[in-house]
Amino acid sequence: MEFVNPEGLRLDGRRPTELRQIRAELGAVAKADGSAVFEMGNTKVIAAVYGPREVRFEYSMANFSTGDRMRRPKGDRRSTEISLVLRQTMEACIMTHLMPRSQIDIFVQVLQADGGTRSACINAASLALADAGIPMRDLVTSCSAGYLNSTPLLDLNYVEDSAGGADVTVGIFPKLDKVTLLQMDAKLPLDIFENVMQLATEGCKAIATELREVSNLMKEINIVGEHKAIGISARGIKSYARWFRLQLCPDCCYTQFLSP
Amino acid sequence: MSDNQFVDQLVVPGDVVLDLSSMANQTIKLGGGLRQESDAISVTKAGKLRLSKPNKYWVESSQKRYVPSVEDSVLGIVVDSRSDNFIVDIKGPAVAFLPVLAFEGGTRRNIPKFEVGALLYVRVVKANPGMNPELSCTDASGKAAEFGPLKDGYMFECSTGLSRMLLRSPPCPILEAFGKKISFEVAVGLNGRVWVNAASPSTVIIVANAIMRSESLSVAQQKIMVEKLLQNLNIST
Repeated sequence: MEFVNPEGLRLDGRRPTELRQIRAELGAVAKADGSAVFEMGNTKVIAAVYGPREVRFEYSMANFSTGDRMRRPKGDRRSTEISLVLRQTMEACIMTHLMPRSQIDIFVQVLQADGGTRSACINAASLALADAGIPMRDLVTSCSAGYLNSTPLLDLNYVEDSAGGADVTVGIFPKLDKVTLLQMDAKLPLDIFENVMQLATEGCKAIATELREVSNLMKEINIVGEHKAIGISARGIKSYARWFRLQLCPDCCYTQFLSP
Repeated sequence: MSDNQFVDQLVVPGDVVLDLSSMANQTIKLGGGLRQESDAISVTKAGKLRLSKPNKYWVESSQKRYVPSVEDSVLGIVVDSRSDNFIVDIKGPAVAFLPVLAFEGGTRRNIPKFEVGALLYVRVVKANPGMNPELSCTDASGKAAEFGPLKDGYMFECSTGLSRMLLRSPPCPILEAFGKKISFEVAVGLNGRVWVNAASPSTVIIVANAIMRSESLSVAQQKIMVEKLLQNLNIST
């Protein structure tokens, strides 16, 4: 099957080094201390952070749990592996020594999976941790890249991922320029691997600039979640109701907010 | 200096705001949200970077979660009572202890009785990392000074940034505008809890809703909102 046509376009019309459209929203889960929804193309992930709080009975908490709508049993190998990988990645970035004797719970749920779910989970968890104000060394951003039809491709979607080629997932600290996660499926010759990893790292840095813009804009607008009006509110308050849930597209959010 | 572009700007974890190698022999004081890594000062919490001349830097951030620190006035909810402490929840990483004698004129004979769920206005006395914070219902000189249980009224939660804004001086425009027209009581806890009390429930509702919505509005927008609400209140009463 042809994944890169002779003009150099992929199945969804992207160029080999183009990322899918990114969308992010902070404060989506009102009950959590910090939360974020992160979309990369059709892959959509929601992350909620609780903590630091008292360490409780371990029976109900795994520090990370990912799953999809089909409710697979928790012991399923792929979920446990992904949970372990994500936990190690986030442990490297949270300054846990500042919060002894407390635990931080990060819950991640994949709402739509279209390739790159691991990366979307890491990006969403980073944003949720920043939203919760938990001290971090740096944001962690993650991106995947592959190699099909002799071309390195950035940000694989599900079809490209299941084509059987290699899939390299990289997670980095963008400002410190350090790698926190590096995983690969299948095999690649070493020189090609270097190119693919370099491409994925650059994708991570591009995502980092987007995330930075998003969290800066959200901080300015100061949205901390939905507040429900108590009792019977006076008519005047209704006109302010829509200041809250902003679906943030970095280009258009400012104009949405300013219109009275 | 590389920090000038960051002061009063929104920063995100990982941003390097000061490069010490380019500044010789200066003493810099770092507040919350900043960390030193050999020659660079980097940000650990998202927020606005502030500078207090000549050399104090800190990051002002607003979260739901509260980090207990000494001398903060907070609103706590009683969770349990022991023989020598009340266990009080202050929205921090651990529950706090309020000694039974930490009241004005408190002795073993007149220990106050608080039910589970009682709302208290207290002051944080000790807040060490890894230990439960300690509270007190008196100020530093031992007087009651408005600390203690809060009766009636309505308590709601907000972010720490909004509580700081409500407590700043000159007074926040919302409170000032309301204060000129209606009478109400408000207690603001730096841990993100606010209590409002007034003679009639509709006043309580209006003030509480207005405060909840004021976080993202500028000064002028807050004043406009308050005027509209007061007009509606006058129509309905």
